[in-house]
Amino acid sequence: MPAISIIDVVMRFDRFTAVDHVSLDVEEGEFVTLLGPSGCGKTTLLKLVSGFLQPTEGRIEIEGRNVTGVPPEARNTAMCFQSYALFPHLTVAENIAFGLRQKRLPAAERRDRLADVTGQVDLGDHLPKLPNQLSGGQQQRVALGRALAVRPYVILFDEPLSNLDAKLREQVRYEIRKITRDFGLTAIYVTHDQSEALAMSDRIFVMNGGRLEQSGAPEEIYRHPRTRFVADFIGSANVLDAEVVGEIGPNLWQVTTALGPLAVSSETGPAARRIPVAWRPETARDGAAAHNTVEAVVRHRSFQGHFTDLIVDAGTTTQRLQLPRSAAREGAQITFSIAPEDIAFLEPDA
Amino acid sequence: MIALHQLNRGLMIALILICALWLAIPFTYAVLWSLVDPAEPWTPDNLLPPVMSFYRWEFAWQNSLLQPALLNSYTLAPTAAVMTLILATPTAFALGRYDFPGKETAKLVALLPLVVPGFVTAIFFTSLLYQLGLAQYRFFAILLAHCILFLPFAIRILTVSFEQVRQDHIDAARDLGAHPFARFQVAYWPALKPGVMATLLIVFIQSIEEFAIAYIVGQPGFVTVPTLLYSSLGQDFNRPNAAVLSLILLVPNVILMLILERFLKSANPALASGKG
Repeated sequence: MPAISIIDVVMRFDRFTAVDHVSLDVEEGEFVTLLGPSGCGKTTLLKLVSGFLQPTEGRIEIEGRNVTGVPPEARNTAMCFQSYALFPHLTVAENIAFGLRQKRLPAAERRDRLADVTGQVDLGDHLPKLPNQLSGGQQQRVALGRALAVRPYVILFDEPLSNLDAKLREQVRYEIRKITRDFGLTAIYVTHDQSEALAMSDRIFVMNGGRLEQSGAPEEIYRHPRTRFVADFIGSANVLDAEVVGEIGPNLWQVTTALGPLAVSSETGPAARRIPVAWRPETARDGAAAHNTVEAVVRHRSFQGHFTDLIVDAGTTTQRLQLPRSAAREGAQITFSIAPEDIAFLEPDA
Repeated sequence: MIALHQLNRGLMIALILICALWLAIPFTYAVLWSLVDPAEPWTPDNLLPPVMSFYRWEFAWQNSLLQPALLNSYTLAPTAAVMTLILATPTAFALGRYDFPGKETAKLVALLPLVVPGFVTAIFFTSLLYQLGLAQYRFFAILLAHCILFLPFAIRILTVSFEQVRQDHIDAARDLGAHPFARFQVAYWPALKPGVMATLLIVFIQSIEEFAIAYIVGQPGFVTVPTLLYSSLGQDFNRPNAAVLSLILLVPNVILMLILERFLKSANPALASGKG
């Protein structure tokens, strides 16, 4: 039995459809991410799971129980808000214990749980302080502690790291993952940051325009994007419109693109004659190879430390490649190649 | 730079001086006039009253309508404050928490009564009270009038307070299992408190000072401190008595204004949360 089942859910606001026939299951103890650009419906879907919104159509089940119509205060979920939503006039301890008071737990148990959670989120010295005396990272931990203290069955994160600076974000990312694992919590995490999603998730659900585009393990989503949108949104792949010429070897297909003729390796073969293909900037190799050698002129170069980002003009199009070491200056002529295995057929456009 | 700095300093000192004179001179004069002894008139050739005594104060306390006026004023004002608060809350809640077409216009319309001069409102409002047959219940008629008159202040202040209640606090409380009262306590009240206090104090002060309606509806039997004050300035003009009454009217208001100032300064804690 899945921990959470979202069954054919539709959410409409007046004429705007925020969530459009989405179905998905989350297994117990799984950490899943809803990933997509702003306005894709990911936060709406989270609010539907937490109970702040009720679906226009469809059904939501938590622990096998239909919770459609159940308000948030009666659901066994806890939310970490983007703004943290800490109560500013309550101390850290009172904030963390707030949910326990609402549950009317005896004082002794409240104390135990507070101590427990405080240890987990490492806030021991800050209990008597007010939220505004804490740093952003500490406030984030109080919010997490407050949600953990009620021992929810499901914990929901609404872009919890978007207000932290880059370095802290990576650290808190790791802490959140560790804690949810230690508590065996089922978690739904909403983000628009693909690196967050790739680093944290057991499974990613990529959303676009209220619909589910693709779901799968991070590696799978990254390596085998199915649609133009997923390929572009995750890892900003180069997407080219291709026309299939024919099979030129076992599982090897010849296509023509704006970049020139390319060989694409595929077990299933293309689904249509006109089809988009995608390749990732970091799969480009410096120099010529047996297949797919491309001559290009560097338009823009930016050094990123462990790689160099190049925007190049090749064929009749502009592509992006990332080479580990490249001395090529802007305006220079370079030769690079892409292995046929690194180019993938996407779903044909509708 | 230095010249500008000095100019700023100079202007600042001038401003403080003007303010001090503006406030201090009338106040000092009121105090001095209230202490003039009736046996020795204060003539223009004297800088200070020749003889000072508390005679006027004792006289006002014992022989005028001061005691019933104080009782009336200090019953009327707190009642009006509480009632106005109660009446303004639903409108302020709607204006502060919901979005609906015409909301900005509604806010403006709610403030509009403030631009009409008090006496004009008073004359027409009292005629309405007479037509409705409510004028005979003088206390309640004045109370009702004060509530309606000062509703715009209350609605305005409370609307801002309701706007400052953060939806994510309400949501977080709900999410953690809080029922309506607990939600009110933790999410609404901290943001509303300064506004509620400000409303109570402002309506209290306005009601204590209101003359026109209290005079038209109340006369001749029902006196408040302002109507007593005006009559001692009018039909039986007596500057020392008026000084006593204006001080009685003024001092509690000054104290209340200072309290109000403190409430407004104790900034809304809901706004002081980290990233908010």
